[in-house]
Amino acid sequence: MSPAKSDNSVPKSRLLEFYEQMLLVREAENRLSKLFADGEVPGFIHLSVGQEAVCVGVTSALKREDTLASNHRGHGHALSKGVELNSFFLEIMGKEEGICGGRGGSMHVADMSVGMLGANGIVGAGIPLAVGSALAHQVRENGAIAAAFFGDGALAEGVLHESFNLAALWKLPILFVCENNGWSEFSPTDRQFGANVRELAGVFGIPSDYVDGDDVLDVHDAASDLVTAIRAGEGPRVLECVTHRVRGHFEGDSQKYRAEDEMNSLSNHDPIAKLESVISKRRIPKKEVAAIREKIDAKINAAVEAGRAGNAPDFDRAQADVYTAVRGV
Amino acid sequence: MSHVTNLNMPKLGLTMTEGTISEWMISPGASFKKDDVVLVVETEKIANEIEAPADGVLHDILVEAGETVAVGAPLANWDVGAAVMFEAAVEGEDAAATTPEPAKEIAAATTSIEVTKITARGVESKRIIATPLARRIARQNDIDLADISGSGPKGRIKAEDVHAAIAGGTSRAAQSSGVTVTSPDVLPDRRAATSYETAAARRLTEAKRDTPHFYLSTEVDAAALLALRQQLNADNEGLRISVNHLIIAAVARALQENETANCVWRDGEIMTYGTTDIGMAVNTEKGLFAPVLKNIGNFGIASIAEAARELAERARSGQLSSDDLSGGAATISNAGMFDVTYMGSIINPGQSSILGVGSIREIFRPDEDGQPELKQEMGLVLSCDHRIFDGVSGLTFLNSIKANLEKPLRLLVN
Amino acid sequence: MAEVRFGKAVNMALDDALAADPTVILFGEDVAEAGGPFGVTRGLLEKYGDRRVRDTPISEAAIVGAAVGAAMSGLKPIVEIMFMDFVAIAMDAMVNQAAKARFMFGGQCSVPMVLRTPHGGGVNAGPQHSQCLEAWFAHIPGLKVVVPSNPSDANRLLRAAIADPDPIVFVENKAMYSLKGEFDESSEPIEIGKAYVARAGNDVTIVSYGAAVNTALQAADKLASRNISVEVVDLRSIQPWDEEAVLASLSRTHRLVVLHEAVTAFGVGAEIVARMSDIGFDELDAPIKRVGAPFMPTPFAKSLESQYLPNAEDVIAAVEQVLA
Ligand SMILES: Cc1ncc(C[n+]2csc(CCOP(=O)(O)OP(=O)(O)O)c2C)c(N)n1
Ligand SMILES: [Mg+2]
Repeated sequence: MSPAKSDNSVPKSRLLEFYEQMLLVREAENRLSKLFADGEVPGFIHLSVGQEAVCVGVTSALKREDTLASNHRGHGHALSKGVELNSFFLEIMGKEEGICGGRGGSMHVADMSVGMLGANGIVGAGIPLAVGSALAHQVRENGAIAAAFFGDGALAEGVLHESFNLAALWKLPILFVCENNGWSEFSPTDRQFGANVRELAGVFGIPSDYVDGDDVLDVHDAASDLVTAIRAGEGPRVLECVTHRVRGHFEGDSQKYRAEDEMNSLSNHDPIAKLESVISKRRIPKKEVAAIREKIDAKINAAVEAGRAGNAPDFDRAQADVYTAVRGV
Repeated sequence: MSHVTNLNMPKLGLTMTEGTISEWMISPGASFKKDDVVLVVETEKIANEIEAPADGVLHDILVEAGETVAVGAPLANWDVGAAVMFEAAVEGEDAAATTPEPAKEIAAATTSIEVTKITARGVESKRIIATPLARRIARQNDIDLADISGSGPKGRIKAEDVHAAIAGGTSRAAQSSGVTVTSPDVLPDRRAATSYETAAARRLTEAKRDTPHFYLSTEVDAAALLALRQQLNADNEGLRISVNHLIIAAVARALQENETANCVWRDGEIMTYGTTDIGMAVNTEKGLFAPVLKNIGNFGIASIAEAARELAERARSGQLSSDDLSGGAATISNAGMFDVTYMGSIINPGQSSILGVGSIREIFRPDEDGQPELKQEMGLVLSCDHRIFDGVSGLTFLNSIKANLEKPLRLLVN
Repeated sequence: MAEVRFGKAVNMALDDALAADPTVILFGEDVAEAGGPFGVTRGLLEKYGDRRVRDTPISEAAIVGAAVGAAMSGLKPIVEIMFMDFVAIAMDAMVNQAAKARFMFGGQCSVPMVLRTPHGGGVNAGPQHSQCLEAWFAHIPGLKVVVPSNPSDANRLLRAAIADPDPIVFVENKAMYSLKGEFDESSEPIEIGKAYVARAGNDVTIVSYGAAVNTALQAADKLASRNISVEVVDLRSIQPWDEEAVLASLSRTHRLVVLHEAVTAFGVGAEIVARMSDIGFDELDAPIKRVGAPFMPTPFAKSLESQYLPNAEDVIAAVEQVLA
């Protein structure tokens, strides 16, 4: 386990905040994993266990009015951008009271009120949406920026290249966040993409940074710097976060295609464990950390109960939402 | 100057409420001369040829042949200069103002459109609802779908309804199915029915279907009648009085004696005629007509003869007006010139009875002593509309006629 | 005759094609090393090597575009799009390239390629992983669209599709991959464009394709117990589709219900109904009914999705209506 860097500069409250947020994502997903195995979550879900430092590190550099477009592995993006936990569980459990009325599920969690433009079932599809959102911020001069979260697998989609070009040409206020977890489904990144994202950004003249995506403090620092430049009107930035996917591509994937060594080494990269070691070095009382754990547990228990208590969605209401209701004159 | 107006369904008789277009004789866009036949309209009575009041051009046809629309409904746009429209027709102001309204009731963007609310060209349509297969089977078996009631949703006629009708004998084909065709090359000849035949077929079918007929028959001792006729014609002056004229007089008197017999069923109401009008069947080259002698209640026998002769003449020369063909509660159909004992007739649409008169025949009847006595007798069959008559009123009417014929002198007294 | 799963039947056809013809190549996302997201291409990399069986990056536009180019250059590519929903990204290659190359180049070349892709719901995969988009392709002159309803047909139709000189979209219903069915390995390929009477009957014809044929058969079973005799016509291919067979069946039963899982509006069924109300007009003894998904995206929640997907009860209701 490599020691985390910026330990002393960060106030204690910030550390605990990061800790709480990462823990929330982690425990929520651990619980989803169980619910899925028990058949309480239909469909299929992609967990971001091991990647919590990326969403928390980046979104902590964003403001509420900033917007974010996500991908299929989007639980962390949603929760750290501020999607309310109960309606998040209700959605994934397919209930009427879910944030999307139970119509989208895990791959489509969205909450416009917190700038969460949606998880996405189509690889790469969120990237141009974030570009468009940035365009809106630019045109409206509202000072907000957009962030696009995508995996290394999306680098192969043409739309990413088109999006880089457009954002650079128009100097759009957007942060492209590549969560490079080394895998695209069952294929390693090196068999998927012949370049790397920073080189690619360079071709379009987009400045970029590269961080250890398992270190929330690093991610936060790097993201903050880039966001400052973006807000200053300097155009798009790319942040590559190298991280690790702990679970299978989706729940139920036994990951036989991954080497034993790799699987065994995953615990060395755990971003939560890394932050815990920083916290313990700062002599923050164990009690405080335990209190956070208890608080998260309670929240998640409550959310699961809320999810279970939710109602099956109403079909007619769902159908009525295919188009916007236009009121007569 | 162009002057496009609507050609509307003309009212061709007092009781006409709707008409069916049998044929358009002028195609859309074609021009015509004054008095050219523009279209043939079939009413409850006959096929009427509608002639152009002036030279002009026919524009769009709004109602196709075969469709039935109400009097006054626009049938086409035409340009007949400033010429007057048919008197009876509801005159259109201009094409735009009377352009039929499009069906309005189609709700936007809904999946269920209430088809029943959409009426063809703003006119309540009397279309027969039948499935394409039912129509095909009916066509092939020469069945009139109008005779069939549908068992499908909204009364839709389905194939099985047509099959049932065939099995039940509605089909002319089914009726003739016993005929053995000897050689396959000798195919029965076919031709299209003329518009008169079509009109007649339609109204007879309607009459037989829609009027609940019942029949009463009796014989009349014609001796006194024949004797009277001989006397009346003896001097060879004036009009010759025929048996038929006397029968008309007998029925006229019977109508005055039996108010019921002067009633007709009209759309759920019972209408009583205040005048004595009698239809009489006239055979013409074009077919059988039943023009109506109007208001003959106060006529003497000579006047009756005069009026009957004149009416028959007009019928034979094709000069009947629509008015000639409407009115009256009873018609006389006299087949006396042929050899027939009893003739049960179909009541003319809109009337309530018809008297079928057979030929006068010689027959032995027992006299008071049981000895055979040669008699001259005439068979009468009265077809009655059961909505107007019951058995008793029908018999009373028939017996009145019989009495008038057997004691014909009373016909000379008003 | 052996029982074979749908996915295996597809695998066997691919295997045979790769073995028989060195110009057949196979590529797509995770089809080689991983053996396919649904395990359909398992073992083929090992057997035929990585020159002919290839994993691709997540680049649908390039995958399908490359298949078109390869087909124009002497190969017979078979490509896989992991979920039919993702073809949206590859539409240009199919619609503007594959479909038109032969025509607009004056007949100089054909595009002998097969695009395999799974459609269909029933697994709560939500709005972007459940769609039945076959009508899009059936609308494009130059493409053929084949949708098998059982393992044996999947094998025999896929062999015909691979042998066909024109671009084919071969649609597999993902809920059917594990379905078992009788399969005779010696059976011949099925001619594309010919329908099959999956069940003979007298009272109503149900025309369907793909997995929905099984729904139709279920409905037919239930109706048989009520003395209603249903004929089920499996189109097998929807472009071209067997008008003659449908008309022949309609001429026997005089009543028609068209069933598919796809959204009803502007769907394959609309074309069938339009044609039959034209050429079959005089055979109809009732309005034609369509049964399909309502006009909305496939919802995620179980309760919503089960209400959304057409089932045997919906088919029975439609049959009752045409018999009314
Ligand atoms: C257009 C499209 N192609 C393929 C897929 C199937 N798919 C879902 S996730 C995924 C891999 C994505 O890899 P990456 O972008 O690295 O994200 P990760 O899963 O590693 O988080 C694939 C191929 C899809 N959802 N959309
Ligand atoms: Mg990845």
